[in-house]
Amino acid sequence: MTMLEVRDLEVAFGPIAPLSGVSFSLSKGETLGIVGESGSGKSLAAMSVLGLLPLSGGRITAGSIIFDGQELAGLPEPAYRKLRGGRIGLITQNPMTSLDPLQKIGPQVDAVAVLHLGMTSAQARARTVDILGTLRIPEPALICNRYPHQMSGGMKQRIVIAMALAADPDLLVADEPTTALDVTVQAQIIRLLDDLVKERDLALVLITHDMSVVAQTCDKVVVMYAGRVVERGTVTAIFDAPQHPYTQALIGCIPGAAGADEHLTSIPGTVPTVLNYPKGCPFHTRCAHMQPICTTDVPAFVSHNDSAAACHFAGDMK
Amino acid sequence: MTALLEVRNLSKQFTSAGGPFRKARAMHAVNDVSFDLPKGRVIGVVGESGCGKSTLARLILRLIEPSAGTLRFDGQDLRAKSPGEMRRLRARMQMVFQDPYSAIDPRYTIARAVLEPFKVQGQKPTQLPAEEVAALLSMVGLSPGLASSYPHQLSGGQKQRVGIARALALRPSLLVLDEPTASLDVSVQAQIISLLQQLRDELGLTFLFISHDLRLVRYFCDEILVMYLGRVVEALPDTDAAARHPYTATLRESTFAVDPKQRRVITPLEGEVPSPFDLPPGCAFADRCRHARAICRTDTPALVAHDGHAVACHNPL
Repeated sequence: MTMLEVRDLEVAFGPIAPLSGVSFSLSKGETLGIVGESGSGKSLAAMSVLGLLPLSGGRITAGSIIFDGQELAGLPEPAYRKLRGGRIGLITQNPMTSLDPLQKIGPQVDAVAVLHLGMTSAQARARTVDILGTLRIPEPALICNRYPHQMSGGMKQRIVIAMALAADPDLLVADEPTTALDVTVQAQIIRLLDDLVKERDLALVLITHDMSVVAQTCDKVVVMYAGRVVERGTVTAIFDAPQHPYTQALIGCIPGAAGADEHLTSIPGTVPTVLNYPKGCPFHTRCAHMQPICTTDVPAFVSHNDSAAACHFAGDMK
Repeated sequence: MTALLEVRNLSKQFTSAGGPFRKARAMHAVNDVSFDLPKGRVIGVVGESGCGKSTLARLILRLIEPSAGTLRFDGQDLRAKSPGEMRRLRARMQMVFQDPYSAIDPRYTIARAVLEPFKVQGQKPTQLPAEEVAALLSMVGLSPGLASSYPHQLSGGQKQRVGIARALALRPSLLVLDEPTASLDVSVQAQIISLLQQLRDELGLTFLFISHDLRLVRYFCDEILVMYLGRVVEALPDTDAAARHPYTATLRESTFAVDPKQRRVITPLEGEVPSPFDLPPGCAFADRCRHARAICRTDTPALVAHDGHAVACHNPL
């Protein structure tokens, strides 16, 4: 069952359009990875789904976001407030800044169930203790009386996950949930998210710059570059036979991905900023296979087995 | 083969001052670290945050003063040098920092930043050949036209190239690289790593490469030191050597393959790196180790080498 469908989404901040033509869909029990380098628009896509654009002065200028049959584009803020933290949970990148340093852990997590499920504070606390327990936090009742600064980074990230889960969401958006963590702790959190998707039949949008995290956890992948989707497909299709030169390079950039002694692929130049998005194919300024048509025409998606790439020469390249 | 850098029993202890509400405490940021870095080799130092890898880098250049141990660079005892002698020696041993945004003075032009090392060594920029800046910038793949730009006009990758050009200005033989790509995007990381490989071949440089990324270290380095809470727990003589310390094995397991077909069931290591203050006796890793025995909680294992592969574990794999 499709939980979230984003179609031809375009986002503008005044005259600037940092996001255009973004489409993806996701069902219950599935993990969708949105991958790209900094400035690719992946976090902006997540903010659009969560209705957080107006906070920073952005708005949706075209396209639709359908969550469980309901259109979210243009949804008024009071209605969004009910959804956010309720049926849609958010896990942010930096657990150090997403918790209130002046409030104990317990009340911070309790507030979600009080607000969204109408529980009394005693009911909410019982629920909090229960959730912290399922997230393998030792001595959950004691942890409720601690302040965030008394906890390690990995523990804080678990608390943020607990808050996202407290109102029993159907959709979870995780924006770089492990970027700030050490590798052994990253492995713990990724395992936890994986288990939650399976046990609770959640739909998870995982935003990351790390192709190895995508390979380990996702069912579907959307590759973004300069505010556009350049390739999308199943995780096996994307990694087995990437069709877009950017996707190929992104995998080739990772040491050891192509075999231990293979040379790294490096992409010349840097990701363009929103003020100088190239015309035509957004990647043409850095692409080794660039042809005249790439500088003028935005390429359409070309399907190939279980994936589709927006490249004029998709399928012609190795 | 003689070692360009010889590190013996190097330790650094930091103390936090006590106050009305707490006792003074001591922590061993770097504890009894020894290794040889032969000329032309690349040794990688890996570990999680707080393991002492960046402190180790700074100790080697004596940017902070060691508490104990000896440091020999090209046969000379570094700890016996006066600050002035040390400054002159640093012309031959340079460092590239993690964050290129804060490593370069925002008010300096790129030319001035790159020529700063000469000034530190007492040379006036006017005594230098006019094409020095252009030569240094071209060496790291930057257009000489950027010489009059300011750091804020450059991207992160370009700034890190400036950091490398500055480190190379005095033609050093040893470069200590402290997570030089940690703040960069992967496509830019690949550019910087390729540049470092090319410079190593062209200039015959020796690198000490500090990183938290096991994949990157495996790709870039010849040998690997694995650190945990200030100690070297394993020294791998080559990057493909099988891990003998349980911590090294865990680090490798926690690094995912970039291939969905090689997906595995993760059995994560419980807990996190404990506080480095007031460590209990025994092996620092014992509380998280699946193979810990009684002796692990009482005796600190020594780093014992066997065929060049050293491991500090009572019960190696």
